[in-house]
Amino acid sequence: MGALLLRRLLTAIPTLAIVIILSFLLMRVAPGGPFDGERALDPATRAALMQAYGLDRPLSEQIGRYLWRLAQGDFGPSLVYRDFTVTDLVRQGLPVSLTLGGLALLLAAVLGIGAGLYAAARAGSLADRALMTTATVLTVLPTFVTGPALALLFGLRAGWLPVSGWGGPAHLVLPVVALALPVAGAVGKLTRAGLATALSQDHVRTARAMGLAPVRVLLTHALRPALVPVASYLGPAAAGLLTGAVVIETVFALPGLGRYFVQGALNRDYPLVLGVVILYAGLIILFNLIADLLYGWLDPRTRG
Amino acid sequence: MKAALILLGLIVAAALLGPLVVPFAYDSIDWDAIRAGPLTHGHLLGTDFVGRDLLARAMVGTRITLAVALAAALVALVIGVAWGAVAGWIGGRVDEAMMRVVDAAYALPFMFVVILLMVVFGRSILLVFLGIGAVEWLTMARIVRGQVMGLKQRPFVLAAEAAGAPPATIVARHILPNLAGIALAYLLLTVPQVVMIESFLSFLGLGVQEPLTSLGILVKDGADDMDVAVAPLLVPGGILIAILLCLTIAGERLRDRLA
Repeated sequence: MGALLLRRLLTAIPTLAIVIILSFLLMRVAPGGPFDGERALDPATRAALMQAYGLDRPLSEQIGRYLWRLAQGDFGPSLVYRDFTVTDLVRQGLPVSLTLGGLALLLAAVLGIGAGLYAAARAGSLADRALMTTATVLTVLPTFVTGPALALLFGLRAGWLPVSGWGGPAHLVLPVVALALPVAGAVGKLTRAGLATALSQDHVRTARAMGLAPVRVLLTHALRPALVPVASYLGPAAAGLLTGAVVIETVFALPGLGRYFVQGALNRDYPLVLGVVILYAGLIILFNLIADLLYGWLDPRTRG
Repeated sequence: MKAALILLGLIVAAALLGPLVVPFAYDSIDWDAIRAGPLTHGHLLGTDFVGRDLLARAMVGTRITLAVALAAALVALVIGVAWGAVAGWIGGRVDEAMMRVVDAAYALPFMFVVILLMVVFGRSILLVFLGIGAVEWLTMARIVRGQVMGLKQRPFVLAAEAAGAPPATIVARHILPNLAGIALAYLLLTVPQVVMIESFLSFLGLGVQEPLTSLGILVKDGADDMDVAVAPLLVPGGILIAILLCLTIAGERLRDRLA
């Protein structure tokens, strides 16, 4: 386990380096700069700003300086939200995005695994087929359609829940549900399929033949191996929840990271965009690592 | 699966032929019928917030969304098949290096790469789908590589090699035709993914630009206007979900049959 962890952490470094350099270069190739707003700046002011932020230096020097400061944990200043550093903005936005994504992941796992277990326990029944059809429909629901639709139904029409802003737990319900639905559908389908395979295995048949209660067989013998594909799905899915959150944060006007990213990209706020990309890449690598560790725990045979 | 394909066919037919039948252009404004409800002023589904016929807009939006998605999926198919076939066929160090690239690319935050590309290359519809295609080929490459590695060991390929056929001929004659089925299944599954990305970008204002429209833009307009009328949100949203569902069902069935 320790060796795997170390190896994965070592491969994470070059991956992150590639992400950083690629994003850095892509942003700079883009036409327009952070100070090309609607109102043209006086050339002398513009030059002074460029100099103050070091944007007049050669590109290689800029990358070098950026990486050096990054190594010390400094993401640099935001070019558009003056008076704020990127670290300030991340500190404001990240908790919102993580809460949103984390709760959605939890809800999706609980709903999906629960539905998969129920369907497998009643394999072939009407309930099984109804649940799996529902799961297929859920997997294709785009958050930017379900988000507004839920807001319309439960917010504007019924008036039960707030449709925008960041406050108490009530503000989280609709965005979390909209984010969780497609993931719940996929988890449900994977759990059901995994259980079907596991139930046809020899050791399960033996357990059944020995007279163990079907529910007990399902929970103690079949569920753990059946969750292996679920675990390997959830790593990338967690990353997907973060990206999906970009839209949900826009729809529900939540002050998360995703909104800063889109605004930053449109405004050519180089340090802000880079900071968010690096953070997301790091989180994706982390989630994939967690999924791999979970994988090893669920199926000891895969431990190298 | 049959029902899914029929529904998909109907949607495609409506998107292609519909504008010939509907008496309104997708971008012309009916000043007497701004935010008209369904079945009023001759507008079957009503109009949007500036009085444009919703049915006509939905048809044109579907057409653009599907065209962009198909083009992007084809780009992904070409890159993915080429990359996977070369890696699988040559094997060894080349394979190792090529698949490392794929692994690294998987770790990139996709949506952000796409958004960066959109920002870099401006808002040309051509580049929207090239950009999406350029990040959607990875799974295709993995599948194709696996298939090629399996096919390489099959007797008919070994026989062709023994008979002295040049590698290019073997790949073209014996390998690619045997890949076609599974590649088609994944093409079908790539299209809904691209539809999703395109709509997502258009929704955020980074994809297809006005006056051209797409399902993502229509959903966005509908969402902005939903406290007044619900049809502008539900119609394009419903079409989008129907397309995604049909393609996913057809693709999964085909994949399960071939795998």
